[in-house]
Amino acid sequence: MSLGGGKGGVGKTFLSSNLSAVLARSGKRVVAIDTDLEGANLHTWLGVAPPARSLADYVAGRETDVQGLPVETPIPGLKLITGTHGHLSMPQPDAETRARLLADLRGLNCDVVLIDCGAGAHPATVDYFLAGDDALIVLHPEPTSIENGYSFLRAAFYRRMELVMRKGDVRSLVREAMDQRNALGIRTPHDLLREVEAMDPEEGRRFREEMGGFRPRIVVNEVASAEDVKLGFQVRMVCRRFFGMDAEYTGYVNRDEAVREAVNLRRPVTDIRPQSDAAVYVRRIARKLLEAMP
Amino acid sequence: MKSLSEMTHYEVLEVGRETEGADLERAYRMARAAFAEDGLASYEACPPEEAAAMRERIELAYRVLSDPDARQGYDATLGSTPDDAVPIEFGLDPASDEDIAPPEVEPEIAGFDDLEDAEDVAFDGARLRRARLRHGFDIERIAQVTKINPTYLRLIEEEEFEDLPASVYVRGFVSAFARCVGLDAERVVPAYMDRFLAARPPAAGGRRGQAHASRQA
Ligand SMILES: Nc1ncnc2c1ncn2[C@@H]1O[C@H](COP(=O)(O)OP(=O)(O)O)[C@@H](O)[C@H]1O
Ligand SMILES: [Mg+2]
Repeated sequence: MSLGGGKGGVGKTFLSSNLSAVLARSGKRVVAIDTDLEGANLHTWLGVAPPARSLADYVAGRETDVQGLPVETPIPGLKLITGTHGHLSMPQPDAETRARLLADLRGLNCDVVLIDCGAGAHPATVDYFLAGDDALIVLHPEPTSIENGYSFLRAAFYRRMELVMRKGDVRSLVREAMDQRNALGIRTPHDLLREVEAMDPEEGRRFREEMGGFRPRIVVNEVASAEDVKLGFQVRMVCRRFFGMDAEYTGYVNRDEAVREAVNLRRPVTDIRPQSDAAVYVRRIARKLLEAMP
Repeated sequence: MKSLSEMTHYEVLEVGRETEGADLERAYRMARAAFAEDGLASYEACPPEEAAAMRERIELAYRVLSDPDARQGYDATLGSTPDDAVPIEFGLDPASDEDIAPPEVEPEIAGFDDLEDAEDVAFDGARLRRARLRHGFDIERIAQVTKINPTYLRLIEEEEFEDLPASVYVRGFVSAFARCVGLDAERVVPAYMDRFLAARPPAAGGRRGQAHASRQA
């Protein structure tokens, strides 16, 4: 599964660390991976010192086997691939390396791989996000996060469509649509669907199918009011209407001082303050994710 | 995915063909908030004219579906094609097994179960707040229903026991609060009052009675 959201500081890494801890504590063998090579800090949330080997070694070609990357964490059943020691002038791998990485991750000997994505909508970040069978988009109840969240979803949507379209001309149409000011007047996923259908009915059918299959989950972090809680339902409605996506509103977490306390101790809040609001909310989300797992 | 003109009024509001009354009202409010011009949820989601068109459709859908005659006439024009499925999580009938008791007030939202009972989570102020948020109520709504001063409700959630009135009042407040948010008052009240009395032993009651009186004024 993957956690993304476009904006930095919305709680992707907080949720990645805590969800992976809860999943591990519930008996799953989990590998969490920090793909934020420019701002890696998942290891800190989990109390792991920067290890000798990291994802950056794989990207730089110093390590060719993903199997060799996971290191132990203080939490039994949870291993971690850190994103530390990145190459500063070449922070993200090329598309080919990425594809190999994501395929290799599926070969890891564990039940769940949890991918923590960085901020922004860089193609690499989008690919990591799309790699999840379950993809969580983390939002804050504020306009900046909502705005970045939608641009991220839009990028993810177009990228996913580009990957599944088979005909070259349809693929280049999708690529062209990614430019928000494209000359074809394609402004929304719906416009694009119409164009694709007009161009090639068979691809159009595939497009529709794929649209229905893309079901990201919404999590609203740092809620402070009932209005904030409702925001998730509203975003789901907007996604359905404008992106044709059947997103699911999986949960919310309130703003809780216990989170800061936990990160200062470099331990999951679900471990040090299991009765805190944040811990209860994280467990509720984890439970929904567990229900959806095979 | 349908274009706006292909969508039925039911699809626009994301309700079933049978939805009416308070449920319809709630769905309408949610849809309106989702696409509101200055609202957060649709901020930068689409070109402004698309959001405006959606808002118009929401108003029209509600006008028709909330008027029995207009609705009957509209239904007669609908073909037999079923609507796009309404997402289950907003299926306003939360009657989940895990709900301890139905809340006394119709919840604003549904879909988040109370999973805490199974986990043996304490009945504290935070639990009351979580139950409140789970139903989409703000403090003011609870105050309206229970007729309890919203400041006290907030203090109860925050467990700021020092500023609350005498325990006999608090007991009543907590009981009403719990019922309002679908928690079993018979379990919440003793557990909450244990916490309260541990922090504020009964001997200290007199002074608070005074504080209470002045606060009411
Ligand atoms: N629910 C929460 N309550 C309080 N503070 C939070 C919460 N979630 C995140 N934070 C704070 O926000 C900061 C950013 O969170 P982080 O998970 O690192 O964001 P991201 O990975 O999305 O950039 C953290 O330092 C953390 O202390
Ligand atoms: Mg992060």
